[in-house]
Amino acid sequence: MKHEEENFAKSDQFNLTMIPGSFARKMRTCKIWQLFRFMVINIKMLIVVSKSH
Amino acid sequence: MARLVIMGGGVSGHTTATFAKKWLGNDHEVVVVTPNSQWNWIPSNIWVGVGQMQKKDVVFPLAPIYSKAGIDYRQALATEIHPNGKEGSDKPFIMIESTKEGEAGKTEELEYDYLVNATGPKLNFDATPGLGNGKGELGGHTVSVCTADHAVHANLELKQIFEKAKKGERQKILVGTGHGMCTCQGAAFEYIFNIEHEAKKAGVRDMIDIKWISNEAFLGDFGMGGLHMKVGGYAVSSKLFAESLYAERDVEWIIGAHTSKVEDGKIEYELLDGTMHEETFDFAMLIPPFAGVGFKAYDKDGSDITDVLFAPNGFMKVDAKYDAGAYENWKASDWPETYQNPTFDNIFAAGIAFAPPHLISKPMSSPNGTPINPTPPRTGMPAGIIGKAVAHSVCDMIKNGKENAHLHKASMAEMGAACVASAGKGILDGTAAAMTVYPVVPDFEKYPGTGRDTDYTFGEIGLAGHWIKHILHHMFIYKAKLKPGWTLIPE
Repeated sequence: MKHEEENFAKSDQFNLTMIPGSFARKMRTCKIWQLFRFMVINIKMLIVVSKSH
Repeated sequence: MARLVIMGGGVSGHTTATFAKKWLGNDHEVVVVTPNSQWNWIPSNIWVGVGQMQKKDVVFPLAPIYSKAGIDYRQALATEIHPNGKEGSDKPFIMIESTKEGEAGKTEELEYDYLVNATGPKLNFDATPGLGNGKGELGGHTVSVCTADHAVHANLELKQIFEKAKKGERQKILVGTGHGMCTCQGAAFEYIFNIEHEAKKAGVRDMIDIKWISNEAFLGDFGMGGLHMKVGGYAVSSKLFAESLYAERDVEWIIGAHTSKVEDGKIEYELLDGTMHEETFDFAMLIPPFAGVGFKAYDKDGSDITDVLFAPNGFMKVDAKYDAGAYENWKASDWPETYQNPTFDNIFAAGIAFAPPHLISKPMSSPNGTPINPTPPRTGMPAGIIGKAVAHSVCDMIKNGKENAHLHKASMAEMGAACVASAGKGILDGTAAAMTVYPVVPDFEKYPGTGRDTDYTFGEIGLAGHWIKHILHHMFIYKAKLKPGWTLIPE
């Protein structure tokens, strides 16, 4: 059984939602991708901050 | 020389005081009254609560900072407001009671020209039988991460749970809200995933059942009625985002719950369908509901005018529309803009201390009449932005006179918020859910679809958010310590 499929069987609550697969989980800790996302999130947050003042 | 008195030295009060002093200089007096001797960066209490930080990492003494800034600091509890003065004097004043070592209980009248109420909330543990100790403090059955000392205690209790799990004793952890009218679900949300992460690291995750309990009608409500965000090319509800995270981390949930009673190892709760249930636990962190700090206000003749200044929940009335009526009539414009008290134009409220006009989430109650819905969040970024806007307004009033002053606006319906909920603390170990929402209060007239701008309302999980959480921790403590360039760091 794939890792992401294990929890679907554990409860009805879990069975009715989505669980990330191995690729999505790897991207969360991929340093190069996350460095890019870090810049994107920071820019978005700065825009939100500037719109809020 | 005018005197500005600020009651409270948390995120909002500290922001108001430091900016006001910077803008007013030595021509006018800025006084901060707070019962605390230390400033606490509350978001990082979560890391103290799982043993990844110590108390000293999240607090620092206020006295040297205020001394450096030229702010008059009174370590005291404000108890009464006399906005019209007293017999024989028109000068408004507040009563304060010292909490300083050696002077505890000593009372004093402190006159003001302008007053900002930024006290934050009273942690109303006693609203739920058993959650408090009957004296307004945390009881002995659960833990809390609302203060640094609470978080230190929480970590000690958590470590014992991990030790028992290591010995092969199955343990049950319950985290969430301790009442049907709680706010601050985000803190509990962050804490539960830090516990889950630490349990994995300690090699005991398989021996621990972790469960979430909340007054939200759906997971991901967060007291903001949920939000819609762009994820993977879809615009999705925060419900799906949150449920996915809980399912992935094997955390079951109970939602729409009013915790009605807490006992040793057991809670009783009522669901939105009116049914009553019980849940057992070995360790529980339940957030208390918030209330106003319980000020009394008196007129010149000594008559009680508390209801003129404060809403029944103890929060201060400001320029909000309090008679908006039913949910269907709610508008973004109901929310306050200047935070000025409608009766006394020299009094403002900032941060959690202001009375919101109504909920943000859809109001819900059980068939038994028990309200079960999150109350509006006003912590963190909104508290800081409101504090700065209020400082601007008061400084303009002092410098230009009340008639010519420009009152600055900071409506939560035109303000965003960034929220980073970490799981773990290591730079490369752990992830965080980074979210921004714009605006905090949905505006369905401006954004008819979801009430919010989906270009700036987003969420994602990963290391990047984790790094941001670290940066925010150091950046905001640096700013609060008024180190060089502190004004360049946004709220």
